[in-house]
Amino acid sequence: MTEPILTTSALTRDYGGTGLLGVDLVVPTGAIYGLVGLNGAGKTTLLALLTGLRRPDSGTISLRISRRRLAYCPDVSEFDPWLTAREVVDLALSLTDSRQPEERADHIDAALADAGLTGSVSRRVGGFSRGMTARLGLACALASDPDLLILDEPAAALDPVGRAELLTQVAAMRGHRTVLFSSHILGDVQRIADQVGILRAGRLLYQGSTQELIDTYLTPAWLVRIAGDASGFLAAATGADWVTAVRSAPGDGAVRIEATSMAAGERGIPALVAACGLRLAAMEPAGADLESAFLALTTGVAGAAA
Amino acid sequence: MTTATRPASGEHTRQAAVRGPARGMNLWRLEWLRLTRTPRAIALLAIFLFIGLIEPVITRYQQDLIGRLSHGVRISVPPPTPADGLNSYVAEISVIGLVLVVAIAAAALCFDTRPGMATFLRTRVVSMRQLVLPRFAVSAAAAVAAYLLGTLGTWYETGVLIGSLPVAGLLGGMLCGAVYETFAVAVTALAAALARSIVGTIGVALAILIALPIAGTLHVIADWLPSALVNAPVSLVNGTAHLSHFGPALAVSIATSVALLAAATARLRARQI
Repeated sequence: MTEPILTTSALTRDYGGTGLLGVDLVVPTGAIYGLVGLNGAGKTTLLALLTGLRRPDSGTISLRISRRRLAYCPDVSEFDPWLTAREVVDLALSLTDSRQPEERADHIDAALADAGLTGSVSRRVGGFSRGMTARLGLACALASDPDLLILDEPAAALDPVGRAELLTQVAAMRGHRTVLFSSHILGDVQRIADQVGILRAGRLLYQGSTQELIDTYLTPAWLVRIAGDASGFLAAATGADWVTAVRSAPGDGAVRIEATSMAAGERGIPALVAACGLRLAAMEPAGADLESAFLALTTGVAGAAA
Repeated sequence: MTTATRPASGEHTRQAAVRGPARGMNLWRLEWLRLTRTPRAIALLAIFLFIGLIEPVITRYQQDLIGRLSHGVRISVPPPTPADGLNSYVAEISVIGLVLVVAIAAAALCFDTRPGMATFLRTRVVSMRQLVLPRFAVSAAAAVAAYLLGTLGTWYETGVLIGSLPVAGLLGGMLCGAVYETFAVAVTALAAALARSIVGTIGVALAILIALPIAGTLHVIADWLPSALVNAPVSLVNGTAHLSHFGPALAVSIATSVALLAAATARLRARQI
């Protein structure tokens, strides 16, 4: 990563205690940056400030590129219903691109194809579904080949297939385009974002590597599955000095083991299973995901999701 | 979404052939399409033309119509003059036509009504003038065209049924009417900057436009108000006033329209979504 493409300093937009309060955002160039937070955390306010739709009460925004190299796709895209999909993308491109219409044409077709709208280029957008309109919004944003793409809840209107395709498409931008996106779907953020920012009540609680966040809030706990009867293992684990808690996970027969440290658990669990003469069917970290880290960070309860 | 590779150049050539000649979009063409792909243009032209054609007929046969409705009571009205035909048209257009013009202009100028649309436009334009000017100009041009078409209809119909209208007076009246229609659209632009919704914009614009004739009852300022232009065509064709009499109102209307547009643009620029 080189110099950040976007930074903010003490960015504040105060709606009487809510809004955005002193946010120092750093978006590295070429990163896929996921912005997560509960409803009302300030995600949309932050994106509106970054795109110039609202003005901050105080603080600064530093953009290393021209504003014309930034494209924003809102959570709900709306277009004049009597325009065709091609005309909408052409209009979007005409506002940011000085090339002649005939020179823009190939870019328009390519953007519509990338958005999966090849068969609907000449259809009026008034007949589009929510998902198709969302795809059209993305086509408008991508047509200008922006250096910084800002997406507000990009997958909200898409079906599961469309969502998966969008995530693949965004992940493929890593390195040659910076993407800043907000999402409620933490699994999506974990899947494609290498950087994450967590907002709560207008404040940025965490900002940095997604993996580091998960590692920081990773609790030394595992779900262990034993081939056969696990009662002997349960008894042995209860007496082990490196084990801090043992309980049967409800429903699926797994045993949840919490250890004094990651190393103690990773060494001790297989050894204990072997000592009991049992076979280890599976052993997976509990709460090793962004959702657990998010909940731990925003609620203060470690391993809340596990 | 697909991750399909971009079409090869041969494919693009075929697509270009299907597309036909390049006719790029821009904010001016957007406004033209807004008029022509929706019922707006047809409604505007048809209603003005209909009023322009029907009012001289009503004026010509006013005596007969009153006679049929008076159930034996004899009511006598003086024979209509050509100016009466135009007067009827102006009277109808100053109400029905004005509401229609304001409504159509409001629909174009209220681009902040839908947040998704506002975001699409505001995050792409360089200046607010880039957004406001085409919407104002195309709406005003449509209003003027409809007004002139209706006036030409009245001119023709009055000439056939009642008597010919003086050309010089009529042309002067058309100029005054066209300037007033433009002023009405400029008022609507300011109203769109004050109220976000289309209904609110129509309400604010009509309130301002209705308040002007009321203010015109103060004789000191009556000749300077844009509302003085509404009845100018009648005064000019019946010879009670010369075009120079409306010079102050024309000047104020043009200057105020420019000022209103500047104020609307500044206020829309300051607005946050």
